[in-house]
Amino acid sequence: MIHMMIEARTAPHALARSWRQYTSAASVDQTTAGFKATIGLELHVQLLAAQKLFSAASAKWNEPPNTNVNVADAGFPGALPQLNPECVQLAARAILALDGQIQQRSAFDRKHYFYADQPLGYQITQQHHPIGRGGYVDLGSLDGLEYVKRIGIHQLQLEQDTAKSIHGVYPGHVLVDLNRAGVALIEIVSKPDVDTADEAVMYVRKMQNLLRHIGVSNCNMEEGSLRCDVNVSVYRDGEDRLSGTRCELKNLNSLKVIRGAVNAEISRQIAVVQRGDNVEQETRGYDAQSDTTFVTRTKEAAPDYRYMPEPDVPEIHINESWITRLRKTLPETPEAVMSRMMPQYGLVQEDVETMLGEPGCTVFFEQAVVGRDPKRVLSWITSEVFGQLAYRSQRLVGSSLTVPQFTQIIDALSSDAITSGQAKQLLIEFMDGEQRTIDELIAAHGWEVISDDGKLRVISKQLLDTHPKEVARYLKGQTRRLNFFVGKLMQATNGQAKPQNASEIMKELLEARR
Amino acid sequence: MQLLLTRIKLNRLRPVCRYSTPSLNDTYEAISVHNPRLNALPHIHPLDPTQEVNGPLSGWSFAVKSNIASPLPTTCASSMLSSYTSPFSATAVTKLEHAGARMIGTSNMDEFGMGSLNQSSVHGPAHNLHPENGNVLHSPGGSSGGSAAAVAARMCRVALGSDTGGSVRLPASWCGVVGFKPSYGRVSRYGLVSYASSLDSVGILARSTRDIRDTFNIISAPDPHDMTCMSKSLRSRIDTLCASREWISHNTIASEPLKGVRVGVPSEFWVDELSPSAIDAWKRGAAKLESLGCDVIPVSLPHTPHTLPAYYTLALAEASSNLARFDGIRFGTRHPPTQSTRASLKYAQTRTMGFGDEVKRRILLGTFVMSARAYENYYLPSQRIRRLVQREFNRIFAMPNALCTTNTKTDARNVDKVDAILFPTATDTAPVQGSNNGLSAYVNDVMTVSANMAGIPAISVPFGLCEGMPLGLQIAAQYGDDDLVLRIARHLESQPA
Repeated sequence: MIHMMIEARTAPHALARSWRQYTSAASVDQTTAGFKATIGLELHVQLLAAQKLFSAASAKWNEPPNTNVNVADAGFPGALPQLNPECVQLAARAILALDGQIQQRSAFDRKHYFYADQPLGYQITQQHHPIGRGGYVDLGSLDGLEYVKRIGIHQLQLEQDTAKSIHGVYPGHVLVDLNRAGVALIEIVSKPDVDTADEAVMYVRKMQNLLRHIGVSNCNMEEGSLRCDVNVSVYRDGEDRLSGTRCELKNLNSLKVIRGAVNAEISRQIAVVQRGDNVEQETRGYDAQSDTTFVTRTKEAAPDYRYMPEPDVPEIHINESWITRLRKTLPETPEAVMSRMMPQYGLVQEDVETMLGEPGCTVFFEQAVVGRDPKRVLSWITSEVFGQLAYRSQRLVGSSLTVPQFTQIIDALSSDAITSGQAKQLLIEFMDGEQRTIDELIAAHGWEVISDDGKLRVISKQLLDTHPKEVARYLKGQTRRLNFFVGKLMQATNGQAKPQNASEIMKELLEARR
Repeated sequence: MQLLLTRIKLNRLRPVCRYSTPSLNDTYEAISVHNPRLNALPHIHPLDPTQEVNGPLSGWSFAVKSNIASPLPTTCASSMLSSYTSPFSATAVTKLEHAGARMIGTSNMDEFGMGSLNQSSVHGPAHNLHPENGNVLHSPGGSSGGSAAAVAARMCRVALGSDTGGSVRLPASWCGVVGFKPSYGRVSRYGLVSYASSLDSVGILARSTRDIRDTFNIISAPDPHDMTCMSKSLRSRIDTLCASREWISHNTIASEPLKGVRVGVPSEFWVDELSPSAIDAWKRGAAKLESLGCDVIPVSLPHTPHTLPAYYTLALAEASSNLARFDGIRFGTRHPPTQSTRASLKYAQTRTMGFGDEVKRRILLGTFVMSARAYENYYLPSQRIRRLVQREFNRIFAMPNALCTTNTKTDARNVDKVDAILFPTATDTAPVQGSNNGLSAYVNDVMTVSANMAGIPAISVPFGLCEGMPLGLQIAAQYGDDDLVLRIARHLESQPA
């Protein structure tokens, strides 16, 4: 279980490297056939608000079934929706980070359909008057693209998540867990600007990094806090790129599946057109084993959602000064951080990316690095601190490690007041919640470095006296015997002798015995 | 023989206790005398005399319409909810209880608020107290028929109802009591089972406008649970708008208590269906207001004829949406499916068996007008008519609509503008229960729906009898002007029968 969680948490870093090696065979095929693809994505992103969009019930993930439900979520008669302002704020942050326009007036609609996961018989969404319009995501070399590409955003809307319906556990029955019913989502609808499966995956990754970085969502596809639907159509090179009929691909639950599904669908549609048939407008799913897409719903079966303005929730009015104040609380975009930190601290792209994968880490780094060696600070953060976080299944934000604690360890290590092993021990203790100062801890462990030469000389002399054979070997010319004595000295002092001192003193005493 | 009958009647209920306040004793006696015939209260609360709460309404008894959540079953007069008790109470109910009033029972109604006769109810039809000493049972009106009948028969001091298209005012006029629909958003809808969310209002029925006002003062307050409930700042802005009307004085002489108030008579309400007795009451009402110091002038609301079809389109559309949650899965009566295939079909049996015919009819029509094909032809034009109706009221009333302006002052009015309007509540008196058929039942709403479409406050005041059957007159005013409506009503009601 912990192993799986560590994997999931380091996934962003691993992915940062692995996808660039992938070559997309399908994208080669489509070009030679004289076809191109038009792709648009709809991302459903769960917001990191503590409570649901229209009820005060907790939005926490992975709780026992049907425990985070109140009368409004379950649609009891007489219950009414109550808008959670935190969700509006998070949605607005996302819009600003995407350089979109926060609409000063937005409103909600009801989208009607009967299903086990829809307790009210409708979903409250923002089909016609979304809170955000416009914006874009830029893909380029930092994302692994050889060229520069801008993917436009059509709109960003707030909406309720559905309950979870579980089929196949009891034959003929559907199990319903209402914990998720009403949790706040933002649906981000892109313009059909994407041309290849690779671009689609890069877009999703970029969105994940961005939304995590500003604290809007965990964007975790395994946990379901990010879900992706993709619209795909094909057209002959030279024709209008919107001329093809599009199909919607749903239930794509990982980046790998997105890539596979999009490529499979492009191939399928090209084949259909090449044999003279028409592409039917359908909703399709993807079977990874056969690498093909299959029909889940035909156009005729597509429901009429009977959109109606939501009468229980008034319009949201947002003014300029609110937007201005919110803008000030936004952190730098990952790109800006990358472009700035690489030259400023002499770091490579992977270094910054690794830190960007952990929310709050770049801020931590920049506070810790003042007056210190960036490489050492980086190394300690990404190997030691990250290692400890993974072991504890913690995030940096919320762990008990503070910047002063961290820098004290680094400083103590740099000035040889402690050894590397001792530094690691202190890190563990601070992260366990140790509140004492570093000096108190060093004293408590009895780790004060013995820099008193007199003491060392006494111990050294004793050692030389007890090892006459080795002394003789040294004097005969085996100067490497010095290491033996230094080692013994370190042993005798429990590693607390300052290494340079130990070496100098030992050498001096040995030479004196010539 | 007489003694035997009395004993039998009393034994059907819990024993009447001796309470300190006479009104509660009267309540239970009235219930035992009238409820079997009127069927006004399907559930009666066995009150505990030791549970006394001190407050402004101490000693008051109140009934709660069956679509308002309370500690008793909230059945909405439907088989779907026949044994459903709500896990929470409506804000209005809680406020009344905190004020010291005692809930004595739930009242009968048309299923889910859909009807004007209190004919379609899982508890059986309710009946009108009038004609007293008659043996043919008349309709008490709907959908808050039970509330009106209970108040008329003195089974309670006051009753809560709901008014979506006239469901408090129509029964009030037919039962000879006062029925008040406040401005939309004055009283929290939290706990009111939604029929048409943008038209629903909690309403009050009582035997006097004074009781209405005292109850209104308790239940009219901001509520964060209901986002459409007026905020504190909106209420205070409306107060300022009302108070800035220099021509309406509160220091008036006793013989002309309404001096300065201008009342309009909207000509478009003179519909073909108006009975001679309704017309007569209207004229007498206008004369009475003049004698009280009002200026009574004609006004015009040209879109009145379009309002009824537009109202039904919008109300049914919203109803089909609000009733989608009744599937028997999480609460209510579940009827297992006869053949189980797709998830959506699992609800069909529950909804077919659980809803009555009128409810099913309205859900189907409401679903239709919102469907992709019909939306542009029915729903959207109805919304436009609604906007026009609101604008018409804004044009005739001297006080601006606080929702359409940021003004805090009412400008000096011109000669065409009025402060309130006077018109009948119903086209005729109550029909015999069970006699009505087809479209005529819907036409009963023609006098009342405009107030819901515009969200303005409106009250029905009893204004005499016609062949032993009561009828009422309506006063309505600008959005938020509830105080003026109550004030005019208070003077209008003191009319000898």
